[in-house]
Amino acid sequence: MSNLLVLRERLRKLYAAYSVYILKVLQFLLGLVLFGVINSNVGFMKMASSVFCTIGLAVICTFFPMIVMVLAAAALILVHFYALSMPIAAVSLVIFLIMYIFYFRFTPGKAWLIIISALAFALKVPFVVPVIFGLMGTPVWVVPAACGTIAYYMVHFVKASSAALQGAGGESMYESLMSFTRQVLISREMWLMVLTMVIGTLVVNAVRTRSVDHAWKVASAAGAVACVVISAAGNVVLNLNYPYVIIVVSAVLGLLIGLFLEVMFFSVDYSRTEHIQFEDDEYYYYVKAVPKIVVSVPEKRVKHITGQQRKEGGEPEPEAEKGGKPAKDAERVSGKSEGTDANKDRTTDEILLTRSLSKELGLDQEGEKTE
Amino acid sequence: MLDKKRIRLMARTAIYEKEHAEEDVKISTYYKKDYASLNTWITLIWVTVGYVLLVGIFLLCTADSIMEGLTIVKLILLAAIALGFYLVLLILYGIGAGNFYRKKHGRAKHRVKRYYRELSRLEKMYKKEKNRP
Repeated sequence: MSNLLVLRERLRKLYAAYSVYILKVLQFLLGLVLFGVINSNVGFMKMASSVFCTIGLAVICTFFPMIVMVLAAAALILVHFYALSMPIAAVSLVIFLIMYIFYFRFTPGKAWLIIISALAFALKVPFVVPVIFGLMGTPVWVVPAACGTIAYYMVHFVKASSAALQGAGGESMYESLMSFTRQVLISREMWLMVLTMVIGTLVVNAVRTRSVDHAWKVASAAGAVACVVISAAGNVVLNLNYPYVIIVVSAVLGLLIGLFLEVMFFSVDYSRTEHIQFEDDEYYYYVKAVPKIVVSVPEKRVKHITGQQRKEGGEPEPEAEKGGKPAKDAERVSGKSEGTDANKDRTTDEILLTRSLSKELGLDQEGEKTE
Repeated sequence: MLDKKRIRLMARTAIYEKEHAEEDVKISTYYKKDYASLNTWITLIWVTVGYVLLVGIFLLCTADSIMEGLTIVKLILLAAIALGFYLVLLILYGIGAGNFYRKKHGRAKHRVKRYYRELSRLEKMYKKEKNRP
């Protein structure tokens, strides 16, 4: 456990130092997977389904807010559908518009959650979504979860019946349009999955927000169990063929991800819980205070017993290079004169600014603590 | 001479200008009631459009079953149900959007106030420095 907490601290520091780059890389990878999945499943327009288009779109979307990626994904799906059949593209556009009008107009910033939800289905791990959304979000996140499920099934239906839709003309086109709309709106499997996602997310969120011990663990487990029970029961009752392997594996994966998220975002020590009771003029207060687990990352220190090696080699030692800070310490000890020379070059303003900022950010205190 | 407090203030105002300032200033030009009611009306128009689309799609996939044995009474009943749903949706979204936009206006106004306060503090700091011998 302590190793995990140390890892968490290291990851936090890494994120704090390189958050801009990390976020952009993650955004690029998400775009790559998203556009790759769309093109591999419904790549009916050859020009838009090329690797260049996939990578190009991912690169472009990396430099814009997430809403642009959502719009690009919707546009790409519509373009592919249009290449297959115009009425199907029109119905899909209407469904996307309905999603926008009834929810995403209010919170365009949360539109990217729809991508996560749809991708989870495409990658055959649907039930990690209720656990993640329930733990990290609010009950309102059921809407993007449901919209993502509908978007995935829309693509899935077109992929499944693409051969029939492709050669359709005239009357058969109208029939295929009717059957597609019917498939999207009356699909029992889709609505079962929507129901599972909604109930799973609400269960996880409801348990997570209780003040019981190990709420996050219980919430993850309860969410995973709820998803398995609802989807399996629906499978039996509605005579569906949704694979049980996907149900079980994705629920277990969801549980594991829930445990990982707890370590990353909510690590508390329940053994040191304090129950406090006090009152004022209007209320009695029953307070439960659970202390956070704080772990400091152990720092490797390299002590140079002889200064000759450095002088002879002319290059810093490999041990000193492994840890960033110890290497700096070593340089500070061995090359004080160099440091003072360098300091002369710096302007007084820069030094004062560095000091004031480090004092404000508490970096100087951290330095003292580690010493 | 660099002033720590001034740098902190400048950083905070710059972040605000980058993130919210444009939208907030636009929102705060309205009175709360005006802003909330204008956006609620816009939302209701959007909801109407959305509802029409929704009904259209529903009719598309159930046209056959609806047309079978369609009578005037059945048609009126269907229209009444559709209208009922529309009104319920309109009321729900009207109340929800009203609350949402009132809160949004309140938050924007609060941020703009703080922003102007910080700007005036910055101005005072500059004046103080200018007057220093």
